[in-house]
Amino acid sequence: MFGLVRSGQGRGGGGSRDLRADFFRGVALWFIFINHMPGNWLGDYTIRNYAFCDATEAFVLLAGYGAGLAYGAMLDRQGWLFASAAVLRRVGTLYIAHMFLFVVFTAQVGYSVAALDNMAYLDELALDAFGEQPYRALLEALLLRFQPAFLDILPLYIVLLLMLMPALALLNRPRLLITASLAIYVAVRLADVNLPTWRGGGWFFNPLAWQALFFIGCALGSSRRAGDPAPIPRSRALMAACAALLAMGAVLVVAWQRPEPLPYLPDWVASFLSGVDKAGLHPVRLLSILALAYLLGHWIDRDAAWLRGAAAAPFVLMGQHGLPVFCAGIFLSFVGRVALEQSEGWPMQAAVNLAGLLAMVAIAAVGAWYRQRSGEGGRKRAVAERTALPAAAANRTMAE
Amino acid sequence: MNRLRRALAVVLPALALAAAGVAGARAEDAGRACGAPPELLEAGAPLPATARAVSGGSLRIVVVGSASVLGPGTSGPAAAWPARLERLLSDKYPGLKVETVVRGAPGLTASDGGDMIREELKRAPTHLVIWQTGAVETARNLDLDELAAALDAGLGQVDAAGADAALVDPQFSRVLRANANVEPYLEAMRLAAAAHNAPLVRRYDLMHAWAEAEKVDLERAPRSKRVAATDRLNDCLAQAVAAVLASGVEEAKPQTQ
Repeated sequence: MFGLVRSGQGRGGGGSRDLRADFFRGVALWFIFINHMPGNWLGDYTIRNYAFCDATEAFVLLAGYGAGLAYGAMLDRQGWLFASAAVLRRVGTLYIAHMFLFVVFTAQVGYSVAALDNMAYLDELALDAFGEQPYRALLEALLLRFQPAFLDILPLYIVLLLMLMPALALLNRPRLLITASLAIYVAVRLADVNLPTWRGGGWFFNPLAWQALFFIGCALGSSRRAGDPAPIPRSRALMAACAALLAMGAVLVVAWQRPEPLPYLPDWVASFLSGVDKAGLHPVRLLSILALAYLLGHWIDRDAAWLRGAAAAPFVLMGQHGLPVFCAGIFLSFVGRVALEQSEGWPMQAAVNLAGLLAMVAIAAVGAWYRQRSGEGGRKRAVAERTALPAAAANRTMAE
Repeated sequence: MNRLRRALAVVLPALALAAAGVAGARAEDAGRACGAPPELLEAGAPLPATARAVSGGSLRIVVVGSASVLGPGTSGPAAAWPARLERLLSDKYPGLKVETVVRGAPGLTASDGGDMIREELKRAPTHLVIWQTGAVETARNLDLDELAAALDAGLGQVDAAGADAALVDPQFSRVLRANANVEPYLEAMRLAAAAHNAPLVRRYDLMHAWAEAEKVDLERAPRSKRVAATDRLNDCLAQAVAAVLASGVEEAKPQTQ
């Protein structure tokens, strides 16, 4: 497995690959898989139980970071048009993946509802929106205006990447990018604007608000590419403030989630908590994930030995193959939910979680192996070309 | 203080019973609301208007909800939990005149429910509104913020009318859990109830507990026994709601009493 992890050491250029980002992306993907299965016992232990942010925030921030790195490099080499074409290609892949998952989900609901045998007491649980108006539902799904439960992250990601296409022009001016992005975020929150859904209401994750987190990630990734060692320098005061923020959040979230609400929790706490919306990425959620990223970024050394150890390897590998692992995770969570629907005791819990994690790691491993193999071929070609076109070949090696 | 009192209220009778050696008492206690976990039978918030009405001898309850308040799948309207609740309350508080108005329709959202509550509050002085909601939003994956806003507005109306409110959250079902993103919706219900200091009947957790303990499990009941199982579910639910209400009435009593 170690052989499959891309460390990127010795590649030169902007420095070796940051395994911390890969590792935490892997963990976020694992948590997303878990959190997409209500009834999974591990769901009580993921980060959402301890903080005002969850794996979705981590995923979006790291997606932005990765996009800033990758498309930033492309922007430098091949220009805006080429880089935005590459983004568009990615959008196409994500869209197809989303439609595939939509079909899988619809099949799952259809199966469940048919098995339910029209039980009267579930009348109010009209799950089968697709069955009611199949053609309309299909059209609305294609327009991303119909997003069934648990199929809300990919549409968000698709719109974020579409926004990235014009924003690439600002990638080399991170301050301007972040200012513009935060201005839109504030305006969207104040005006309470969201993209529409078919049956009224807005998207589960409002891309117009979530773009703030994504573009902060982009700016971080882009500055990393430029060789800036730490975009926000280490500061004792800031670290203390971040730790305090996270500690306060943890106390509130943990206290709140006890089986019985604490009688001495003042009323305003519940009022405040009910205002912390996820759809519009409430500022508390935004600050929590940024504080967490800042602390982890400064506490964990880039070259920490454990990142190259056996325990981290599966997650690093998953993080390095984010898209297939993400899609597989969503797919596997459907299967897991059906399994937990049959039985929810510990044997099934163990089976679902073990099989799911193993499958996700296996998909990452296959992806890494394939990439390595095709990369070897690519390098051979590069060597051949180097004799003819030294400059172009040098560029290509850097790009890998 | 409250916790201590509650703890004593549980511990003292238990000790007394143990001392008296009453056979079967334990089984009877475990059978409270079909063996529901005791923490799910606590209101966690006072019901002052209801307590006053109970002392005054006349209680008007408005039950608003989506399909399940109407008792679909039961043996008849009398088997639905609101009707059973009315009888349980009459038994618990002898001499109390309980009037229950039930309004609901399949597919009713929280904002529809809020409108019904407004109409009912205008129609006659009401002491308690039991609002079963959130199920349609959960099943249809509707906007969470809109649910939160509708709950806030609806509970605000009840506060303004000087009545008590109690929320009832969605039903547990494995099918629902496997096909809907239930947790954020349950969380929104809990937060809305807490923000308005209103008791929440955690029907989802109650039904989950009953299903796990194999007390009532509609999804696993054979077709021929389904009506009986639905009746039993409504019975258990009525007992649980009655227990939560009684706990809220108890909490509303002055500490010095």
